[in-house]
This record gives sequence, C-alpha cells and structure tokens, in this order.
Amino acid sequence: MTTRVIIALLIFVCSAFLFIAASKKQNDPYKPTYLKLEIPKGWPQPAKDIFANNPLTEQGFQLGKKLFYDGRLSKDGNFPCASCHQQFAAFATYDHDFSHGFNDKFTTRNAPPLFNLAWMPLLHWDGGINHIEVQPLAPLTAVNEMAENIDSVLKKLRKDTAYPKLFKAAFGTPVINSQRMLKALAQFTGSILSCNSKYDKMLRGEASFTPAEQRGYIFFKANCSGCHTEPLFTDNSFRNNGLDLNPYLNDYGRMRITNDKNDSLKFKVPSLRNVALTFPYMHDGRFYGITQAIDHYSKGINTNQPTLDSLLKKRIAISNAQKNELIYFLYTLTDTTLIKNPRFSLR
Amino acid sequence: MVSAANKITAMLLACIITIICSSNKKHPDNNSKTGTVTINFINTIKNVPLVLDSGEYTNPFGETYHVTKLKYYISNIKLNAAHAFNEPESYHLLDAAEPSSLSFTIAAAANAYSSISFVVGVDSIKNVSGAQTGALDPANGMFWTWNSGYVMFKLEGNSPASNIINHRIEYHIGGFSGANNVLQLITLPLTTVLNVQEGKTSTITIAADLDKLWQGANILKIAETPATMAPGVVSKKIADNYNRMFTIKEVFNN
Repeated sequence: MTTRVIIALLIFVCSAFLFIAASKKQNDPYKPTYLKLEIPKGWPQPAKDIFANNPLTEQGFQLGKKLFYDGRLSKDGNFPCASCHQQFAAFATYDHDFSHGFNDKFTTRNAPPLFNLAWMPLLHWDGGINHIEVQPLAPLTAVNEMAENIDSVLKKLRKDTAYPKLFKAAFGTPVINSQRMLKALAQFTGSILSCNSKYDKMLRGEASFTPAEQRGYIFFKANCSGCHTEPLFTDNSFRNNGLDLNPYLNDYGRMRITNDKNDSLKFKVPSLRNVALTFPYMHDGRFYGITQAIDHYSKGINTNQPTLDSLLKKRIAISNAQKNELIYFLYTLTDTTLIKNPRFSLR
Repeated sequence: MVSAANKITAMLLACIITIICSSNKKHPDNNSKTGTVTINFINTIKNVPLVLDSGEYTNPFGETYHVTKLKYYISNIKLNAAHAFNEPESYHLLDAAEPSSLSFTIAAAANAYSSISFVVGVDSIKNVSGAQTGALDPANGMFWTWNSGYVMFKLEGNSPASNIINHRIEYHIGGFSGANNVLQLITLPLTTVLNVQEGKTSTITIAADLDKLWQGANILKIAETPATMAPGVVSKKIADNYNRMFTIKEVFNN
C-alpha cells in the first residue's frame, strides 16, 4: 500500500517537473546561443564591458554581420559599412587616404580599421563617439558617407522578408528599431579580434622572429611603445605627433570635441596591428607608405607646436638599417587569420 | 519499514510543495498605495501660449522672431516629500509640434508632495550608455552623432535680426560633462500640496516661458548669436537662462 503511494507520488513529481519544463518552453521560445568575447591570453581586461547591456549571441552577431554588409543602410544602396571597412584591409579602406561616400563625396579623415574595439573607450580619431553602439550613427547619417537617416533605414529593413525573423532570433521579437539595429552591429564589430599575427604567435611560442625582426622589435620597444603600447599597440590616448595642419581640412582633432585648446591637433594614437594593410597613414592619410610615416618621426615632426607630445620633443633618431628592421617587425603585426576569417566575411 | 516509507512519503510531499510554491512565483506584496499624476507642460511666451510657425514674438531686445521647432527633454522627475518619489526610467521628450507629448501621466506612491524636481535634458549616464530606445531613440533627432550625446533643448525658427542663412535661428543645446554641462536641475515648490491618492489622478500644470531664453543669467541677442549647435560656452549660457523659464501654473487634486 505504502509502496503504491510512493510510486504514485513519484509519478506525480516527475510529471510536475515535465509540465513545468514544457510550459517554460512554450512561454519562452527565445533561446539565443550566448557567446563570450574571449580575452586573448596576456591581454588586459577591457576598461568596460561593451556587451554588459547587449548580451553577445550568435544570432545577434549574425544579424550584425548582415547589417554591416547591407547597402540598404545607405541612401543609394552603394555604401554598406563594409564599403569603407574592408576585411582584406583589416576593416580599414585599402589604399585610400579618404574613403568615398554618397554622390562622389570624400570623407575628411582616413577610415580607421575595426578590430579589438572592446578595448577602445572612445571611437573616431577625435574620440567624439563614446560608445560602440552609437558609432554607426555617424557614418550612416553623414552626407558624405552613407547619407541616410535612421527612420528611412528602418523602413527598408522592415520591408525585407528576412530581417524580421533575424531580429526575432536575436532579440526575441520581430520588432525592428534603431536600438536593436545598433546593438546587433556592435555585436558584430565588437567581436572582431586581431590576436593572431606572427607577433602573437611569437609571444605564444608558436613562431620565432628572424634576427632582423627581433632587432626591429627591440628598437620598437625602446622608441615607439610609449604610445603604441603592447599588446594592443595603442594606449588609446590623444596626442599631437607634430603634423602640420592641413589647410584644406583645418582639422584640429580632439579640440573639436573638448573645446580645450590644450587638445589642439591631438588625434587618437592608432593601433599598429595590421599596419601593413592600413596605409595610407595618419588621420588624413597624408603618408602613403610606412617609410614615409617613420620618416615623419625622424625628420618631419614640427617641434614648434605648443601641444606637441612630450615624448616627441626630440625627433626619433633612426638609421637606415634600423628603419628596415623596424619595418620588418611592423610586418609581423599583420594578422592573416583576421583578414581571411570567414566568420567575418559575407558569404 | 512502515516508518521508513512514511519518511519517504513525507519527503516527497515536501518536494511537491516546494515545486508548487516555486512554480507559482508570487510577486512580493506591495503594500504601498499608488495614484496617478498627470503632468502638463504649456509652452508660452510671456503668458501667451506658443504658436509654432505663424506666431510672431519679440524678445527683450526688440528682436522679432518666429519659432518653427521646439523640443526638449524632461527627465528624472521627482516628487518631493519626507519619502520622495522618483519616477523610474523617467525620460520624456516634449515636442511643441505634438501636443500629446506635452502631457503625460505617471504612477506615483500615495503621499502629500510639496515640490516637484526634474532635469531639463538627459542625465550623463544615458549619454554614455550606448543605443537607447523610446524617448531616447536617436531617431527622434535629438542625438549628436559626431560628438556623442543628446541635444537637451532645441529651438529653431527665424528672425530678421539673424544674419545667417535664411535669417535662421537655431539653438541646439547640449553637453553633459565638465564646465559646460548644460543639465539643469529644476525644483518648483507646489503652490498647493499635491495629494496623490490611491485610484485618483492629480494634475500639475507647468508653464515654460520662452521669453526667459533671452535674458536672466546671460544676455542672448539674436543679432550676436543666431545659432549654436555644439556643446560649449554658448550652450551653457542659454541653458542657464532656460533654467528660469519653468513655473507652476496649477496643482489640481482630484
């Protein structure tokens, strides 16, 4: 008798569990695949978690990728994010000082590459953008870039047959709004990591430098790493590196954002990762090759500028042999895994 | 044997009770009573309700002008009493072209409130926290894309005194940090105590007198400053003027 009671109770308990599990499944069909941004070994933790209010999921990432490559985010359909941020150029614009936008217009600054953005507290050359999620609004609405407006883009996405499903998979409902579009884009761009160059492999003991690369690395550590700090090869600070003002652009950099004359002519220190792919160099792409960029630091710095960075008051002395070795080292920062990774490609 | 079986039975019963209880998660009982408060904003110029486009107005310096657009944020609404009430996620975009945006109703704890506080603009946290939605959606045209941050207050129009294109006047006021932080915390004592009672709606009507834009803390002449569209000293000066434009017009307890 008691055994029967126990069996009956057991059955009841089991069915109760099943019922609860089933009803939960019915109420909540939103089951995204959560991902975690892997911090490469030896790297610092990002100052803030860019995905803290935007949980990274496979579905969000894939939606972001589709948006990144979708020309409909631009007015005439010709300028997806990827038109200026090309994977084969480490997501910069290959071989262009200024990128091309709507109606044959030029941008006014060199397109920065996109990788390791989780470690970048402020975006743009002048740091004007304070969060990765709001970054796409600048090119999307700029008349010389994608020349669109948010409502118009959202209308185009809502008309599409695929997007409502992708938004539902990423965010639980098919609602398409600016917040979701921007969060999805941030999931894609924020996931792009560059951490597999020859330099990285050397650190991990998977590759070794040639003697010339090694000498270049030693020179780099002694002369360049004050700003281009390892392992990200930037300290994300804003500095004046002694470039003369381009009179066509009158671009004073960081001062435009802070209104502080002490920030005159200061621009963000760019990462040197993938530097061989991101030419031309500087905020206005004025130097076509790496040699010219290095020559600037050894011969070109305008030392009369009051806001010139203290580390550059004396130009950097470098012999021709050292210059070649430095360039050999800089080539080891090219991450062929990044530029060929199909995960970041339009298939 | 029997006692062992009883023990198992008892344990299973305990299991069932636990499952039933945990699957019926009850919200914690909220004993505090809640009423509603409708807050109306009336944009005026010297006590005359603002009329967009056609209304012609004269500022204290004799400069005439028309207003074609007026939008501003009211956020962080707080009703003050011994136990103050803070509206959660309190962000409202007021648009003179959309009368429905000038009036909104919030649920508030029943209490007798002696003053109301709010911020003109969007607090700094929301300016640095990425993509927002609702009143804070950047599609509302109140977000700077080149220098991240909300336009807290936007007035556009025209004036013969303006020497820029099409005699335009355009004041886009923003900036949420540093010396030129334009965020204005306004506290207005209520002329009549606001009695929020369960199941009832009280009403506060606030007048915003745009005539205060031109003077008060600082002098703003259209001929000298027809436009500002970036954070900075001018934005801050104008914000210090509109700090003084709000007054309580009426408190009504139902």
